[in-house]
Formats: sequence, C-alpha cells, structure tokens
Amino acid sequence: MIRIAVIDDHPALRAGLRTVIDAEPGLVFVGESAGDEESVWPLLRRTEPDLILLDYHLPHGDGLQLCHRIKRQLPVPKTPKVLVYSAYASPELSLPAALAGADGVVDKGLAARELFEAIRLVHRGERLLGDPSQTVVRSELERLEERDRALVGLLLNGAGDAEAAEALQMEPSEVQHATLRILGTLRAQVPTGAS
Amino acid sequence: MPHTRWQTRRRLIEGDATPWLALLVAARAMATAVAIGLIVLEPTVDSTLLVLTAYGAISAAVIATMPRVRQSPVFWALDSAAALGCVLASGDWRSPFYVLWLTTLALPAVMLPLRQAIWLAIAAPLIYLSLGLFGGPAPGALRPITSETLVIHLLLPPVVVAGLGYATAALQRAQEERTRRERLAIEAERRRIAWELHDSAKQRLHAAHLLVSSLHGRVAPELVPAVERASVELESAAADMDTSLAELRSPLEGRPLHTALEARARELVTDGGPTITVRGEAPPLPPLVAAHAYRIVSEALTNALRHAEATTIDVTLERTPGGLRIGVADDGRGLPETHRPHATGILAMQSRAESIGARLVVASRDGQPGTRVLVDLPAGAPRPQGATA
Repeated sequence: MIRIAVIDDHPALRAGLRTVIDAEPGLVFVGESAGDEESVWPLLRRTEPDLILLDYHLPHGDGLQLCHRIKRQLPVPKTPKVLVYSAYASPELSLPAALAGADGVVDKGLAARELFEAIRLVHRGERLLGDPSQTVVRSELERLEERDRALVGLLLNGAGDAEAAEALQMEPSEVQHATLRILGTLRAQVPTGAS
Repeated sequence: MPHTRWQTRRRLIEGDATPWLALLVAARAMATAVAIGLIVLEPTVDSTLLVLTAYGAISAAVIATMPRVRQSPVFWALDSAAALGCVLASGDWRSPFYVLWLTTLALPAVMLPLRQAIWLAIAAPLIYLSLGLFGGPAPGALRPITSETLVIHLLLPPVVVAGLGYATAALQRAQEERTRRERLAIEAERRRIAWELHDSAKQRLHAAHLLVSSLHGRVAPELVPAVERASVELESAAADMDTSLAELRSPLEGRPLHTALEARARELVTDGGPTITVRGEAPPLPPLVAAHAYRIVSEALTNALRHAEATTIDVTLERTPGGLRIGVADDGRGLPETHRPHATGILAMQSRAESIGARLVVASRDGQPGTRVLVDLPAGAPRPQGATA
C-alpha cells in the first residue's frame, strides 16, 4: 500500500488525482492541500504519507523550497518520498530538484498508468530526476556565486547538511538557508514553457 | 534596411505624409504666388524673374510626387541653392523669392535629427546675411528699408527651422512613447490570457486526461478503442494548448521572426550608436523555436552593443539546405584575448540553442575585425525539450 498526499493549488487536478489514485489497487489517497502553510503541515503530520505528489508551481511559494523543508522537517523514518509534479518538466528542473532532495520529477501530461509507474518506482527507492546535459547544468551553475557552487557540489555528491557545513565551515542552519536561497536563484532560470 | 533614428523620423513624416506634404506644397505654391504678385506689381516687369518663378511650381510638383527625391539631402541643398539663386537674380535681398527660400528649409528642418536642425537654424540666417552683403542691391552694404526688414529676414529662418525641428522631435518622442505603451499593454494582456489558460483550462485538461487514461485495461473490450481515442485527443489538446500558450507568451507576438527582429533592431539603435541591419526572411517556424531564436539574436545584439564598440551590426537570415542560418556580425573589437566561452550571456544563448536543437557558434571574424554569432536552426526543428515529459 502506498499512501499518497497531493499538494497542488488546482482543485480540478486534485479531484482528478484523488479519483484515479483511489481506483488504482495498491495506492491510497490520504489527503490533499492547496500548498498554503496553514494546511500543508497539519496534513503531513496527520496523514504521514509515504509519498507526496508536489506541484512545482505553487501560488504562494516554490514547490522545491517546500520540498526541501518537508525533507528536513519530517525526520527519518517518517520522511516521505517527494515526486515533483510539473506542467513543464524541463531539463533545467533536474538540478534544483536534486538539490531540494526530490525523488523524482514527472510531467503533468503523463497518462495515469505512467504516473502510477513513476509513483511505484520512486516508492521503491529509485530516483527519476532525468539527466540534464552538461550545458544546462553549467549555465545554471554559472548563475551562482563561487561559494554557493561549492555547496551545491557537495550536496549533490550526497553530503548531508552537517558534512557540507563542516567542509565549508558554516553552521548547519546556514546550509539550509543557503540551499533555499539557491533554489530561489535557480527557479528564475527554469523555463515555464515559452521563454 | 539600416535602422537609425533618422529613419524613424523620416517614417514619422512619411507615415502620415498627406496632410504634412499638402501643407508644404501649399506653402511653396503660396510663396511662388507671392513672388509672381510682387514682380508683376513692380513698375518695370522683369520677364527673367517671371520665368524664374516657375521654379517654385516645378519644385513643389517634384516634392509632391517623388518621395525619393524629397528624402535626399542632396535635393534639399540644390533646392535651397536654387531659391537663393532666384534671390540673387532678382538683384535685391529684399526679394520676392525670400519666402520661397524659407520654404526650402522646411524639409531638412523636419527630417534631420534635432541637433543637426539646430545647426541649420544657426547657419541659415548667416548664409542669408552674406548673400545680402555680397549680392544686390548694393554689394558691400545692406541698405535695409527699415531695420525691421533686416531683423525679420534674419529671424524668420531660425524660428521656422528650430520650430519645425523641435515640433517633429516632440511628435516623434510622443509617438515612440505611445507605441511603447501600446506594446506593453498588449504584452500584459497576452500574459494574463496565457496565465488564465495555463492556470485553469490546462489543469482541467490534465485532470481529464488522467481520468480517461486510468480507464485503460478496466473497461469492456468493445470500449477500449473509444477510451484510447479519448485519451489521445486529450493529450493532443494539452499539446495544442502548449503551442497556443507559447505563442501568447512569445516575444514575437504572432509576427514572423525577421519582422520581430527588425522591430527589435529599431528599439536598440541610439543616436551615435551602431547601425543595425536585418536582411533576409525566416520561414514559418514553430513558436517555441522562433521565440528561442529571437531571444538568442536579441542577446547577441545586446552583447555587441555593450561590448564590441562596433559601428555596424548585420543580422542575416538565410535558408540553408539544412534549415535556417541566422548570423549576427559586428565590426567591433572582436572577442577578448582572454576568451571566456563560459561567459553568462554566451552560456545562456548556448543553452537556448541546445533546447531547440540548434547549433551556435560564437567566433571572431576571419580576417576582419569584429565578432560573428551563427545560429543554425535545423529544418523540421525537433519539439523543444521544455514542452515534453
């Protein structure tokens, strides 16, 4: 049984997801939120989902920053898997998604069975983050400051916040703030479908 | 076509040419009529002068009918010189041809940039003053009937030229401002529509697609084709909407690539800055490809304007067997010695090019000063990665 919570600001999409997830054997829809602070945390504490389907474009904030906070605030073993659900799953999304600790990125245009497959793969522990080209990664890193680049390198190589903090002689809380800030910087670069 | 401020100004005048031209021609006709009247009223009618008044009529006709001639500085100079010739021939600087000469200053006053028009406003009375001194009625002395005559003859040219020049400059600024506002308003409206489509209709489409596609394998065999079909249709509808959204958000605003680039070039030129030419035409392109190509070229233009110290920048669009090749070449100082291929601007262009399957080369020009940016768009360019799963 995979217990799934949906965080997306579009009611129609949440309703659709609830219907198809409930109809699929092995998946359970445990709750939904529009992504606002007031409802996200109570939902997650109450339902303790195995996996969160998280919209990338949230009206009051950034899905990836939320993902980063969810991963930090719900400690192991309660940490849910996070599948970022985006209307434009572009290559530029891979790097920030990995930095935010997301387990996968899927496009909203997927058919139900492809979405279920992605959910099952991620639940099993696989990562579906795509493989952006060197140019894309380079141009994204180019936007960051030297120090931030070093931090991104450490975190992407699997270092925890504490290890990264030690390597860069920072406080662990500084690492978290820096990561959120970097996610904000990178967000400006992710195409929204036209530009 | 080269884009300069002068050209914008010319278009401003020629754009609504009819009333302005009608006024100019009417002024000339009137000046000619005044000259004829004054000459005929003289006690001794000089037939040479009567023949000379034909110049007013002929030149008015030329201005009215030949746009190429009326836009040429050479014509303005000849025209003005001819009118001064008529004044000289009349043997008196208080000549009936003075008004005709005044009208010859109108075209340059309106079409030259304001700075040059001001110089003309200063030069015109000096020229007339020297003509009065060295021509008739008494070379070496002015002999005004009253001092007012002299003052009026010398003050009218600067007033006319500076007034016309200033009015045109103000009109031009107002028009540019209005165009800019209109464009901003249109852009905001398009973005709002795009946002609404994206935020509501497209999310519902995704939901419907999910619901229908979840029926796969769960319905009676005779219904399978219908479910499959519906799923495909919904998927296509979402893809169509992506295309429309891209068009709505595209900087091209429905224009062909070369037209949008020409407009961009016009926006970027400044007084004293490099001339930008856009040559060639682009075939119809998928909106995302065109938008990326537009942004790559815009970035290249900005780079050239900012760093190259160029005097001309050439944008060329040519069809190749493989698709479309866009070149941006400047005659500036070329790439710096310490070439930084990872410079942010170049990287951004590279990343854009890659996402539409195009090839981008930035290099110094062979054997010439300057930098050249080449973008090769493949013919059936692939669907940009940004729009696929």
